[in-house]
Amino acid sequence: MKKIVSVLLIVILAFCGCSSKTSKESAVEKYGSDTLKFYVWGEYIGVDTISNFEKEYGVNVIMEYFDSNEMMYTKLQSGDAYDVLVPSDYMIERLIKEDMLQKLDLSLIPNISELADGVKNLAFDPNNEYSVPYFWGSVGIVYNHNNVPKDEIEQKGYSILRDTKYSGKIYMYDSERDSFMVALKSLGYSMNTDDEKEINEAYEWLVELNNTMSPVYVTDEVIDNMANGLMDMAVVYSGDAAYILSENEDMSYCVPKEGTNIWVDSMVIPKNAENPKLAHEFINYILTYDASYDNTETVGYASTNGDVLSDMSGEGGDYENNEAYLPRSNYESDEVFNDNEFLRQKLSELWIKVKASK
Amino acid sequence: MRQFRRMAYPYIVWISLLIVTPMLLILIYAFTTTGNNVASIRFSLINFEKFFSDVIFLDVLRRSLVIAVVTTIICVIVGYPVAYIIANSAEEKKFTLILLITIPTWINMLVRTYAWLGILQDDGIINTMLGFLGLGPLKMIHTSFAVILGMVYNFIPFMILQIYTSLTKMDKSLLEAASDLGANKVQAFLKITLPLSLPGIISGITLVFLPAVSSFFIPKLLGGGQYVLIGNVIESQFLTSGNWNFGSAISFIMAVIIMLSMYITKKIDRGAEKGEEA
Repeated sequence: MKKIVSVLLIVILAFCGCSSKTSKESAVEKYGSDTLKFYVWGEYIGVDTISNFEKEYGVNVIMEYFDSNEMMYTKLQSGDAYDVLVPSDYMIERLIKEDMLQKLDLSLIPNISELADGVKNLAFDPNNEYSVPYFWGSVGIVYNHNNVPKDEIEQKGYSILRDTKYSGKIYMYDSERDSFMVALKSLGYSMNTDDEKEINEAYEWLVELNNTMSPVYVTDEVIDNMANGLMDMAVVYSGDAAYILSENEDMSYCVPKEGTNIWVDSMVIPKNAENPKLAHEFINYILTYDASYDNTETVGYASTNGDVLSDMSGEGGDYENNEAYLPRSNYESDEVFNDNEFLRQKLSELWIKVKASK
Repeated sequence: MRQFRRMAYPYIVWISLLIVTPMLLILIYAFTTTGNNVASIRFSLINFEKFFSDVIFLDVLRRSLVIAVVTTIICVIVGYPVAYIIANSAEEKKFTLILLITIPTWINMLVRTYAWLGILQDDGIINTMLGFLGLGPLKMIHTSFAVILGMVYNFIPFMILQIYTSLTKMDKSLLEAASDLGANKVQAFLKITLPLSLPGIISGITLVFLPAVSSFFIPKLLGGGQYVLIGNVIESQFLTSGNWNFGSAISFIMAVIIMLSMYITKKIDRGAEKGEEA
């Protein structure tokens, strides 16, 4: 009896070994390699999204994370090769301009038909030739409604961030684009301005905020820290806000009246990708209902899959009553970032000075 | 002699590859304008002008130097007695004590600094315990206190080990001679032990001051994003602004400051040695 069992075990083991090997080999055969390098924002992927993809296609995914588009760009420019990147709108515009992206073969991405209406054919890539939206959202202020009255924040908008009553109680997002967006919008300017006078005014606005409010500049820490209620207000992306709101019921979300940045982060394949075939397969996979659902459920950002978006925000969905989940649409003062070299250089020069000015 | 000289070749290749080339690149970047293409370089001092004409950058530089000096002084004041106690403890205890000093350095610095984040945070270990005692939360994280604490914690082993080594090398019979000649313990310490351990203190100062003045992740983690030191400015120029030229120029300025401070400490060291001989 023992012998039979052990023989059986050996056979099963051998079989297992074989099968995993064949799927690996078939992946190599099909895509040319079984490794995908995925460079994405931190805390930006569902719990099982990657492992399911690995299992289903018999491949390996190597993940790397970035904090800002600028950091991603610098790494890419220094020659690092990735198969799929997830930059934001204005950065994609720049990458296209600088000829760093491949044109997508849309026949390999049939699920592109699943895209929600709000994220199709956007200005930075009018025919989705280079990019497929991954998440989208806005920027706003998460606040503790026990300490900051709702009426006040709605009435004051971004200028509440400079109300010394709340000094030492705010988080700013450590990103030049988003911080200058707040300042420019509060001053009533376009966030895509290239008027030097307006940019300098925004700079002064931020310097005053820095010097009178002692804000803490954070990136992803803001999510846990606001969920724990450490501060009264924080400038955050809508998806992080959705997560914070679902964790802490003292928190509310406000998209200020002066307008905000409506952004879209999309999947692209850089020119130097080592495995473009598998990259297409991955993009197609992310767009499936299950993968999108897993992503948005974990992360809290608005899904780009139309069905998932309506199921999540609709009746019985995870984010049914979550005011931060669904980005507002057709609000006149809301804008999408453009790539504008003058503004880009100005901001990168001024941002470190804002933070250092004390 | 000749054979020995030949043995140095691999070392020369190693050095030129890993030390000289990057330094040269920094130099080239520092003295040229934008564009990462080496072929199109143009000599320029604009990066230095940008740094020295801006009050904010000079202020950051001053702040970094102050923090580094304070860190170094605390390391000497705290580190010296520790080294002295270890050097004068029983032989079998010495090993354990030195091990206790070095063990933390086996763990990555970044990880240890993250641990401080958990200790000092507004809802961290210290404030939770204070809360149990009914004491108000103390604001510790994102202050100069946190940054200096983090630096002292990370760099003090270098100071202790340096001083300890110079103390153990000391000839104990000198102290016996001093007491024979009627010097009390304080006098013996001031006239013999302290001067003889000065080289250790000085190399400890170099080892603490250099990393402290250019550290960027300790201020970033414990000081929060708003606590900007010169290392953070350099980091931002490379990682987010993509302005390698300006970043290299600041690195170059720092290298000059560091070399100057090393030259000065060397001078003091030599002066001290001469003083001993005389």
